[in-house]
Amino acid sequence: MSYIIFAIIILGILGFVFAALLGIAADYFKIDIDPRISAIVAILPGANCGACGQAGCQAFAEKLVKGEVSVSGCTVGGKEVAEKLAKLMGKNAEVVEKFIAAVHCGAGVKTRKIIANYSGIKTCLAASLINNGGHACSFGCLGYGDCYCSCPFDAIRMKEGLPKFDPKKCTACGKCVAACPKQIISLKPMDNPVVVACSSHDSGAVTRKNCPVGCIACKICEKEVPDAFKVVDNLARLDYTKNVDCTSAIEKCPTKCIVKY
Amino acid sequence: MELFGIFFSAFLINNILLIRFIALCSFFGVSTKINTAIGMGSAVIFVMTISSAVSWLIYNGILAPFHLEFLRTAVFILVIAALVQLEELYMKKMVPSMYRAMGIYLPLITTNCAILAVAFLAIDYKYNFLQSMVYSLGVSMGYTLAIILFAHLRDRMALAPIPKWFQGYPIAFITAALMSLAFLGFNGMFGL
Repeated sequence: MSYIIFAIIILGILGFVFAALLGIAADYFKIDIDPRISAIVAILPGANCGACGQAGCQAFAEKLVKGEVSVSGCTVGGKEVAEKLAKLMGKNAEVVEKFIAAVHCGAGVKTRKIIANYSGIKTCLAASLINNGGHACSFGCLGYGDCYCSCPFDAIRMKEGLPKFDPKKCTACGKCVAACPKQIISLKPMDNPVVVACSSHDSGAVTRKNCPVGCIACKICEKEVPDAFKVVDNLARLDYTKNVDCTSAIEKCPTKCIVKY
Repeated sequence: MELFGIFFSAFLINNILLIRFIALCSFFGVSTKINTAIGMGSAVIFVMTISSAVSWLIYNGILAPFHLEFLRTAVFILVIAALVQLEELYMKKMVPSMYRAMGIYLPLITTNCAILAVAFLAIDYKYNFLQSMVYSLGVSMGYTLAIILFAHLRDRMALAPIPKWFQGYPIAFITAALMSLAFLGFNGMFGL
């Protein structure tokens, strides 16, 4: 009997001591957390994608309170989130341009020229290491969908071996840009939906041999819209800072590698 | 030399994960990435050393004199849970960088059976305080070694062509069994 009483007393004392210790410690080691941080985290999309350059939404919120990042730093949330954050922080939201990912290759499964059979691991990264998975073009899309697998927002669909980006779902977080081993995905402003769908730096003759829809550096686009297009290193480049109408270049491009999306 | 024997035996020969098969849940749960395995391992080293020290003191200071050894399960769980909370509070305030590095693993360890097992085993072996400290250090470092090795193996397995029916946990268990066989090779080293 005395054992039981002893046990109860000892356990009770221990429990009480630890409870007191924790209580004191909780008070002693209290950290004053800015209540705005949790409010900011609630507004943020919560994808923890890292597109803002911070370690996640929590880190972004902490930096925002300290004033180290701007309210429009979250590209994923876009204008809506920036406005809410600006209201919370009492600042004016800078206008955030909405971006979308675009692939710089227009050759689907049917148009791609294959020079060898590839039967290795079915990822773009693996294929890119082994002679581009047998593709003739050493710049183009490999079509195994590494970008599709990397997308945290389910915005990519593989259509005929090319990624198609859903403008409603794409948040321009840049995960696919990093995932693509050929580095042919980039982020483009949504209000100027024109893209040069080719990445080939081969000379015109070689590109023409490898792909019917490749950029052959004919410079017709440069003549049509001299403000925006510039052919550098055998590849047409579009300057997105100049918001000009590119319709004539799209129509005149002989290989149709300048496309609207 | 005796301390080295205790350390080495806990570290490799009686490795808590691969020979004793204690704390398998975390072994399979957090070994999918190398970084998380390192985080978990360092958190285990930290918590196990401190908690086994405190539980040894409480057992030999309070429970043994009053002949209440049968209470040790309840008391140790209480001690470990309270201690981990205390450490978390302390680290959050004093060493936030370490707190961020260990992050979620610290509270997870509260219910890790390896921590409790070490507190028990150190008493079953009738170790004195120094010996039990060396023992818990050996066990926790053995845990870290095993989980990091296993994480590297699983990293390789992610790219290996594994048959569909073996993918995921089945192949992980088979690999763990093979690793365990390999660790049996340490048996009898230094006459331990």
